[in-house]
Amino acid sequence: MKNKLQKIREEFLKQLAEAKDPNFLHEIELKYLSRKGELSEMMHNLKDLSQDLKKEIGEMANTVKLEMQTKFNEVSRTLEAYNSKSEFIDVTLPGEKIKNGHLNPITLVQNELEDIFSSLGFMILDGPELESDYYNFSALNIPEAHPARDMQDTFYVDHKNKDGQYDLLMRTQTSPVQIRAMQKYGAPLKALIPGRCFRNEATDARHEHTFYQVEGILVGKDINFANLKSFLELVGQRLFGANTKLRMRPKFFPFVEPGNNGEYTCFLCGGKGCRVCKNTGWLEIVGAGLIHPDVLRAGGIDPEIYSGLAFGFGLHRLAMLKYNINDVRLFNSGDLKFLEQF
Amino acid sequence: MYISLNWLKDYVKIPSKIKAEDIAEELTKHTVEVEGLINSAQAYENVVVGRVLEVAKHPNADRLRLTVVDIKKKKLNIVCGAPNVEVGQLVAVATIGAILPNGLEIKESEIRGEKSEGMLCAEDELGLGKNHDGIMVLSENAKIGEAFAKYLKADDIVLEIDNKSLSNRPDLLNHYGIAREVSAIFDLALRPYEKAINRNWDFLSAKENKLEVKVTAPDLCPRYMAVALSNVEVKESPAWLKEKLIAANQRPINNIVDLTNYVMFDCGQPMHAFDAAKIKKIVVRRAEKDESIETLDEKNRILTNDDLVITDGKSPVALAGVMGGHNSEITNDTTELILESANFNAATVRKTSQKLGLRTESSVRFEKALDQFLPEVALYRFLTLLKEICPEMKVISSLIDINNINQKELTVDLSFKWLNNKIGQIIPREAVINSLEKLGFILENKKEEVLKVSIPTWRATKDVSTKEDLAEEVLRLYGYNNIESRMPVFPIDLPEPNEERKIERKIKNILYLKNSLNESYNYSFVGDEQLKKLNIDFSNYLKLANPLSGISNLLRQSLVPGLVSNIKSNQFKSDDFGFFEIGSVFFNATGNLKKDNFGEEFLPYQEKHLGLIISGSENLFNRLKGIIDCLIKNTLGQEIEVEFRGLDDSPTWADKEIVAKVFVLEQEIGVIASLSKDAKENINLKKDVYAAEINFNKLVELVLSRDAFRFNEESKYPPIIRDLAFVVNEKILYNDLRSEIIKFNALIKSVELFDSYRGNKLEVNKKSLAFHINYQSEEKTLKSVEVDYIQKELVEYLAKKFEAKLRDF
Repeated sequence: MKNKLQKIREEFLKQLAEAKDPNFLHEIELKYLSRKGELSEMMHNLKDLSQDLKKEIGEMANTVKLEMQTKFNEVSRTLEAYNSKSEFIDVTLPGEKIKNGHLNPITLVQNELEDIFSSLGFMILDGPELESDYYNFSALNIPEAHPARDMQDTFYVDHKNKDGQYDLLMRTQTSPVQIRAMQKYGAPLKALIPGRCFRNEATDARHEHTFYQVEGILVGKDINFANLKSFLELVGQRLFGANTKLRMRPKFFPFVEPGNNGEYTCFLCGGKGCRVCKNTGWLEIVGAGLIHPDVLRAGGIDPEIYSGLAFGFGLHRLAMLKYNINDVRLFNSGDLKFLEQF
Repeated sequence: MYISLNWLKDYVKIPSKIKAEDIAEELTKHTVEVEGLINSAQAYENVVVGRVLEVAKHPNADRLRLTVVDIKKKKLNIVCGAPNVEVGQLVAVATIGAILPNGLEIKESEIRGEKSEGMLCAEDELGLGKNHDGIMVLSENAKIGEAFAKYLKADDIVLEIDNKSLSNRPDLLNHYGIAREVSAIFDLALRPYEKAINRNWDFLSAKENKLEVKVTAPDLCPRYMAVALSNVEVKESPAWLKEKLIAANQRPINNIVDLTNYVMFDCGQPMHAFDAAKIKKIVVRRAEKDESIETLDEKNRILTNDDLVITDGKSPVALAGVMGGHNSEITNDTTELILESANFNAATVRKTSQKLGLRTESSVRFEKALDQFLPEVALYRFLTLLKEICPEMKVISSLIDINNINQKELTVDLSFKWLNNKIGQIIPREAVINSLEKLGFILENKKEEVLKVSIPTWRATKDVSTKEDLAEEVLRLYGYNNIESRMPVFPIDLPEPNEERKIERKIKNILYLKNSLNESYNYSFVGDEQLKKLNIDFSNYLKLANPLSGISNLLRQSLVPGLVSNIKSNQFKSDDFGFFEIGSVFFNATGNLKKDNFGEEFLPYQEKHLGLIISGSENLFNRLKGIIDCLIKNTLGQEIEVEFRGLDDSPTWADKEIVAKVFVLEQEIGVIASLSKDAKENINLKKDVYAAEINFNKLVELVLSRDAFRFNEESKYPPIIRDLAFVVNEKILYNDLRSEIIKFNALIKSVELFDSYRGNKLEVNKKSLAFHINYQSEEKTLKSVEVDYIQKELVEYLAKKFEAKLRDF
């Protein structure tokens, strides 16, 4: 029996060594390892042997069987791996197409700005798009005779107050939220206010009656012009890169004093001059200034104790610059071909 | 506004090393943006001096002549229509390529069959007057072939400044004002304006005076000065005057009108001259309702009580501060005139000019609040110059000055310490003092900590009144770019988070990444046509009072109309697609935000909505419900179920059958529906469209009302899941069936629909709903028999309640 066992083992190993294709391997498996294979048959015959012999040969047969099975598995695995290679796989084929939608680029730019200012400890605030004359103008030191109030600039709502005046309007700027925020939170205050604004002007590639603005205010003790300047530099560097420079010049905004315009070195050409910056090397981006004492007062903040800085820019303008969009009307167009690029 | 460099030089000596470009740059840095520089010679590019050599009849046209003109380099054949063309004349020749000041571009052409290689120019074509009677004949000192600009001595450079950026600086809408800035910026001497005027005139005494002037609305007319003049000859202005006006982009008219314009561009005071033969006295009053005036532009204007007019005692002869009347206009026959130099209320002028759509150089200045002391200076300036032009001129009245000046003298205390703190940098005392003095501020206490600053009258109308205003004056002259930046020091604190914005962002991410929707930004305005197509009643919509022509004028109350138009405009670009929008809607109802912080009035109610829309061919209702479910689970919690309930008052745009309310946690948050057939046809939509509108504020409220999420440990005891399918009448609602099942026994932990079927395996009007019913106990392992027992009772109960039959597979 022992010899027979050894013989089966040797024959098995010899044949296994020659096995090159799966069919032959399957035959070997059937012949030696299956339930009706030679080994099983032999083990089956063990029952006729004496108790001692049964035990001895049985153990031996088990060892051999384990060895044969292990060897078989090894060869089978190698052969399988080898055979699977024969089926050529074009690894360059694209994957499954998983559909997704797209965000409006205004949202993308707004999110970016909100993140920058959140990290600086700014609150992100909202306010109503349909505003009162008081919050949109009077409280912002824009008196009744100011040209910014002209009917041609502002959409008024067809609803007169008890004095027979139109005193409801579509906000022309995000600044009314400045006042609402000061009234609600007091000083010190750091807030960023993004949102939709409206101007009553005809629409073309560069003008939209509906546009998007973002403005920030910082109110505290001893906020000064040097602070405003460094703050604007920081904003520019974060938006357009570390080497961005700032250039300021006076500009009148009723709600700040002093007021200024801020230009940054063109992020595209680095200040050398290109099509985007109209060969000036500079991009006019931001309007800013120290908050006018009348505005602080309207917000319930004492200008003798606190001062503040404010700045604002067009979200749509930033998005146009950033993505090289030439027509402002695309943002509100709902054009799938436009949105699909973002 | 156009500022001529030559004109500036009348008042400030500009050294030759300071170029026009430098002035433009420094004005931009310190005062106001200069948008461009115009070289006056540029206007006459390709225009040269020529001599007419031959004049012949045009063979095909009686009025045209064929000329040969020598321009030195060559001889040109030019067809000319002017009656005054003669051989030997020196003329301005626009050669091919010239673009004349009136916009005419010169090209080689054929006129009635004859070649023409240029044009002989008339005055108006050169922007030098309004004469079009014939070509302009040049003086004999003109050199053939030389540039016409050189002949004109057009060596001026003009700075172009945007009026809008001067809205707070009426004192800069003239040359003297800009000269003052230039003198301050470059530290140059400014010639006092007094030197340009003569105050000694033989005004008649009050007794002798015959010119009667009355102001009955002193609040709207703080000052009215007038003087009557005789022996005036109305004629063409002298060359220097025409040149100056052309540089300021004004067309010369006649010497009197030109001179009033000149003074306005010189010192900023608009003036008006009336023909004294046409008016005998002057009364300044409010217009009567429906009174009318024919203005200089020969248009009839209907007035109201809010307008201010100059009258002759009976009817209006001028719209105060806006435009003169046609009936009292200066003509070539005028020999006596009444000169007006006045100050009118800014708001009145602005309102009148706006209402009539009549913006003039005069109204643009008055509406910004002019210095009430300026009329006097301007009047003397006018007389001084008129005497030069018309030496025969005589004053025939007293100097009328009806003075109701309400402009206050202002002094402001300015502390150096405060100033330096405000700027964040120490500005040398001398720089502060010099800047302010150069700008015309009068300073006292110059050696002390606190300066006493008197505001000059021309800055005191609206512009400068506080120390902050003075800080800007100092700072801008010192130079914004000369301030060293320094970061503010701020205590660390945690900003209050904007939870709504966080949820908004999350929702947008879920919708675009997970549900393939595209984010739309639609206008806040909708049109009645658009709403009619969706059968939406807009009688209660808020409207714009002054919409742009061609844009929609109703304030949206729903995002659906905008989203529907997004589908419409893209329906041929894509097959299956959808949009979402989060935006404000506006209602004609009282909201919760105040109009101001002293009254008790509120803004109209506004809220944010989330709109969803999809278009395509299959299973859209199901898909849109799935999107909402996904949205809710990912914002409110994975365990939250969205319920869709039928409703009676469906939105008018919706299909009456395929519409449901959306409920979450027993709260209604929105509606979901198929667009009605009617609406689809009206709008011409090719495919099925399903829309949903969710109250975003409500959703945010729900999210924020939830307790913080806690992980639930799985029950130790295994669940038993039974699948049961019930056949019921098709009208039995899933919602009702499901809620009865889940309520039936406390051991039933969850019920999930896995199949719904209607079809030929069932009777007509029947449907099958198949559920996974999940039994589980927190206390023990459930035995099959226990579940069997509950299930048997459940089946019996549902049979009784809904006539539900267990489906046999």
